[in-house]
Amino acid sequence: MDIVLNLDHVSKVYGNGRGARNITFSVERGEVVGLLGPNGSGKTTIMKSITGLCQPTEGTITVFGASVVDHREAALAKVGALIEQPALYENLTALDHLRMAARYYPGVDQARIDKVLEIVGLSQYKKERCGKFSLGMKQRMGLALALLSEPELMILDEPTNGLDIEATVEIREIIIRLAKEKGVTFLVASHLASEIEKMCSKVLVLHEGEMLSFDTKEEALRLNPSLEDYFLAKVRDKKGSVVL
Amino acid sequence: MAQFMANWKNELFKLRKRKKYFVFLILGCLICVASALRLVIANYITGGALSPETVLGGLTNANLPFFLLVFLPLMAIMAACDLFAGEQADHTIRFSLMRPVGKGKLFFSKAAAVFTLCAFDLAVLYLVTTLTQVILGGGTRGVALSFLACLLDLIPLAVLVLFFCLVNQLVKGSSLTVLLCVVLYVGFIAVGTYLPAFGGLLFTGYLRWHNLWIGVTLPFLSLLSRIGLLAGYGLVFACGGYLLFDRKEA
Repeated sequence: MDIVLNLDHVSKVYGNGRGARNITFSVERGEVVGLLGPNGSGKTTIMKSITGLCQPTEGTITVFGASVVDHREAALAKVGALIEQPALYENLTALDHLRMAARYYPGVDQARIDKVLEIVGLSQYKKERCGKFSLGMKQRMGLALALLSEPELMILDEPTNGLDIEATVEIREIIIRLAKEKGVTFLVASHLASEIEKMCSKVLVLHEGEMLSFDTKEEALRLNPSLEDYFLAKVRDKKGSVVL
Repeated sequence: MAQFMANWKNELFKLRKRKKYFVFLILGCLICVASALRLVIANYITGGALSPETVLGGLTNANLPFFLLVFLPLMAIMAACDLFAGEQADHTIRFSLMRPVGKGKLFFSKAAAVFTLCAFDLAVLYLVTTLTQVILGGGTRGVALSFLACLLDLIPLAVLVLFFCLVNQLVKGSSLTVLLCVVLYVGFIAVGTYLPAFGGLLFTGYLRWHNLWIGVTLPFLSLLSRIGLLAGYGLVFACGGYLLFDRKEA
């Protein structure tokens, strides 16, 4: 069992009381884990904590065995991430962004830059400023930046946000292919159960900052016709237990 | 070190891609040339009693207060606010934060990029002023000493850059940060000017650091206390800035 990502009783609570509480789960190599939950359920908070954008108030996070807080460089060396909207400089071109990102990874050269531009379908726009990009193009650019270093773990927060149907399918296929062929591990957050169902091997349900379940897709679908029903059942269980 | 250098190059690239720094540098150069022309024209109007060497000799030295007290602090404020508060406000700081680079390296490489920009600008202004002096017939008097002065003045400039980097961690919003930097800087300069007793205790009192080393040399013990004071300010600004940056969330 090759654990790529481990969260041990992680909590991150903001001043307004929102965030995520007592999250514990592990992700093995090659798995595609979906974080499923409505807006404000803590999906982004967990992803930001994993990528070191915020520090957990409790618990420990290790990526490839290294603590994100204490050994940031080692932990993030093989991680590609797209959190919320892509961080793009409006006055820089797509090529500028990729060249800047390439400086952090010794093995990334111009050929790899061209390759990722081709994967996300932005080759013909590589010399255009990102400020002129549409929401979908920005999202593709964010994916290109996440893919650039050929990461072994990819953390994607709503990766198909703003994309059209064709592009959504393309991105989904890229995720499935990379997981199958190259053993890349994915942690994908979405509020759409159908999206998680189509690409993930495991699903983690979040609601109001709490982790309700962490099952394989097969287990989740054993008693439920779809992940949507599975999610609703878990939320009902929680509300029921609160009433009792 | 590789990650530090990678980020430093990226920060410099971002600054280079913003046209305002180039425009400001051109303006600075024009001011240097204008200051030389003003002296030549004034001499001409008064009948040309003085030789060009006398009028223009030491032009760089005469322009140094403008470089050190006005132009470079302004550039440092703009650059620091672009790389810290500006990126924090529009979340582009995540571009670097999500890469395998420590937060300490991020903070100091950004500060180093701001310092590099200022040092580059100082070098360009020095060159333009010196060339103007030579071309207008002022000769090369004072050129070597001015070069040494510029080199010495990089030390307090580094402390000033660290101060602006620290201020950038105190408040949110780039406009507010620019305002705070300007107000604090002008405030410190005003205190140093109107309350000389306190001037010696403030780091802004040493921006013309070369005055302590070139010309009338002070006793070494007196210099030692000033070196310690400036180093202390630098350490406090660096540590404070880094600690606050490390705690910030993107």
